[in-house]
Amino acid sequence: MDDRIVGYASGIFELAKAEDELERVENELFAVAQALDGSADLRSALTDPQLPLERKQAIVDGLLQGRASSLTVGLVQLVLGQGRSSDLPGIARALIEKAAESRDRAVAEVRSAVALDDDTIERLAAALGRATGKNVEVKVIVDETVIGGIVARVGDTVIDGSIEKRVKSLRQAVQS
Amino acid sequence: MYLLNTALVLAQEESTSNVALVLPDTAELIAGILAFGIVFFVVWRWALPTINKTLEARNEAIAGKIAEAEKAKVEAENLLADYRSQLAEAKAHGNEIVEEARGAAEQMKDDIIAKAETDAERIRIKARDEAETEKARALSDARAQVGDISVDLAGRIVGESLDADAHKDLVERYLADLEKL
Repeated sequence: MDDRIVGYASGIFELAKAEDELERVENELFAVAQALDGSADLRSALTDPQLPLERKQAIVDGLLQGRASSLTVGLVQLVLGQGRSSDLPGIARALIEKAAESRDRAVAEVRSAVALDDDTIERLAAALGRATGKNVEVKVIVDETVIGGIVARVGDTVIDGSIEKRVKSLRQAVQS
Repeated sequence: MYLLNTALVLAQEESTSNVALVLPDTAELIAGILAFGIVFFVVWRWALPTINKTLEARNEAIAGKIAEAEKAKVEAENLLADYRSQLAEAKAHGNEIVEEARGAAEQMKDDIIAKAETDAERIRIKARDEAETEKARALSDARAQVGDISVDLAGRIVGESLDADAHKDLVERYLADLEKL
C-alpha cells in the first residue's frame, strides 16, 4: 500500500484514538469511502482540479453535517484540503485495517447485493475466521454489482460466492 | 608480121633507152655507195647502240612500272580484302550487338511482366487476406458484442428475479460452503 496513504491512516488512527472515537471515526470514514466508491459523480466532483476547494468542502459539509462526528468531518476536510480526496477510500481501508490490527483482528471486507442482518454478519465473521485462521471483523459493503451472494476479502484472500463471479465466468466462456 | 617486127624493134630501142635513163653515172654511183657506207657505219657504230640503250631503258622502265602497278594492285586487293573482312566483321559484330540488345530487351520485358504479375498477385492476396481478417474481426466483434449483451441481460434478469428469500438462500449457501472449508 502507498506510504502516504498509510501515513494519513496512521495519523487519523492516533487522533481518533486520542479522542477515544476510533470506532466511530472508522465506521464513518468507511461510509464516506463507500459513498465515494459507489458514486462516480461524487468522485469526479471531489477530484476535479477545476473545482475550487471551497466548493468541494461545501459538498462534503452538505453530505456529512449532522450525520457524522465533527472529528470525522474535520479529518475528511483535511484530506480534501491536501488534494488527496482520491486517496480517501484507501485511507479509510488502511485505517480500518490498522484499527483491527490494534485489536489483534483482521478486516473482512464483505460485499453483498443486499444489507445483511447482525446474525448473518456474526456467522460470517465466525466462518471467515475459521476459514482464514484469523480473528476477523466484518465490514459490509452493499454493492449491487455483486447481483447475489457474497464476496469476502481478508487481506489478500478473496472468497467469492457471488452471482457476479458466475456472470463473469459466463462472459469469459461466451467470449472464448 | 612486119608489124610485129616493128613493134619488137621499137620495144628494144625503148628498153635500152629506159635503163640508161634510170641508171646513174658511175661516179655518182660510187659516191652514193660511199656516202651510204659512211652513213651506215655511223648509224651502226654510234646511233644504233644509243637507240638500243634508250629502248632497253625504256623497256626496263615500263617493266618496272608494270611490276609496280602489279604490286600496287595486289596491295589494293589485299586492302580491299582486309576492308571487306573488317566490314563483314563489323557487320557481324553489329548484328551481335543488335541481337544482344534484342535479347536484353526481351528479358527485361519478361522480367517486367513477371514482376507486375507477381505484384498483382501479392496485392490480390493481401487484399483478400485483409478482407478475411476484417471479416473475421467483424464477426468476432459481433460475437463478443452479442455475448456481452446476452450476459448483461442474463445478469440483469437474474438480479431482478432474485427476491429477499433468494438472496437469503444464496447467503446461506455461501455460509455453508465457507463452513466446509
